[in-house]
Amino acid sequence: MDLLKTLVIIPCYNEQDNILQTVRQLQTDCPEADYLVVNDCSTDQSLEVLRKNGLHHINLPCNLGIGGGVQAGYMYARENGYDITVQMDGDGQHDPAYLRAVIAPVQAGEADMCIGSRFLEKKGFQTSFARRAGIRFLSVLIRLLTGSRVLDVTSGYRACGKRLTAFYADHYAQDYPEPEAIVAAVLGGFTVREVPVEMKERQGGVSSIRAFSSIYYMIKVSLALIVYRMTVSRKKGER
Amino acid sequence: MPEPLQLWLLLGSAAYLAVIFFMLKTRKLTVKYALVWLLSGFVLVVFAAVPYVVYVLRDLLSVEMPSNLVFAMVIGFMLLILLSLSAAITSFAERIRRLTQTVAILEERIRRLEGESTPPSHET
Repeated sequence: MDLLKTLVIIPCYNEQDNILQTVRQLQTDCPEADYLVVNDCSTDQSLEVLRKNGLHHINLPCNLGIGGGVQAGYMYARENGYDITVQMDGDGQHDPAYLRAVIAPVQAGEADMCIGSRFLEKKGFQTSFARRAGIRFLSVLIRLLTGSRVLDVTSGYRACGKRLTAFYADHYAQDYPEPEAIVAAVLGGFTVREVPVEMKERQGGVSSIRAFSSIYYMIKVSLALIVYRMTVSRKKGER
Repeated sequence: MPEPLQLWLLLGSAAYLAVIFFMLKTRKLTVKYALVWLLSGFVLVVFAAVPYVVYVLRDLLSVEMPSNLVFAMVIGFMLLILLSLSAAITSFAERIRRLTQTVAILEERIRRLEGESTPPSHET
């Protein structure tokens, strides 16, 4: 199948042990896609690993967090005329074997965004009960705010079409951006879909959502979603 | 109000204003952010110089103690200034983010033009 020009954005913060394997796996499973590692000012040897192995990367001079890093990737995709942009974590949680499945609905023009969801078929690593409850709560909240049904709202494995890529290059939530990005997309008149994927337990490094700050995470994200819903009016368009 | 106290208040508020003006002069503070500080300084000077104003305001707003009125106004000024600072930080953070992203993308482009970076298409 003739693939549209696709860029896989791999945010990387202190992933010296995982990043090389992640990229190699991607190149093996999906050699037709370009990739871009966004090194978010890692404090470990990540940059050296990227340089030594000649991995295609950009290097943020200040640490911006996942939102700012991913957004830099979207800006890059827009500037270089990519048709489809995929986000994939650099820690090995996201299996590149599912890349085509995540891209497919976007490529077929059925959706502007397609999220790889671990809850649709409940296979693979399902994360802890507390986290599932939190994700469930956010999922319900997003449904109330936008009317869209998304199960795995915190999944960072997602594909976006050209229009949404340009939108995210200009507007992308910071701090804990995944749920808010969904709300922004739906309210911006974009269609969002989910496909089942299997995720692995992270291979090393630390999750951006640590246990002790999860209460803070929930409050902040919920508030951000509600505030966003209040300040942005829905764009009319096909849904 | 006893004379020495008023003198100290006058001296204090005048010194406060002088510090603001000095910082403005040496460019350690821009007028944009100094406006609220200056306003608060002038109000303090007026209060110290003419305490009668405070008594009149007290009667108008029916506050029991004149000092409470002064405290309330000072707190109000502080809230205003703090809020404006948070807003300023937000806008700076936004600009820094944009700059950081642009610099990173430009740096990659330089590497590519100098032939050091692998081009984004590693196939075709």
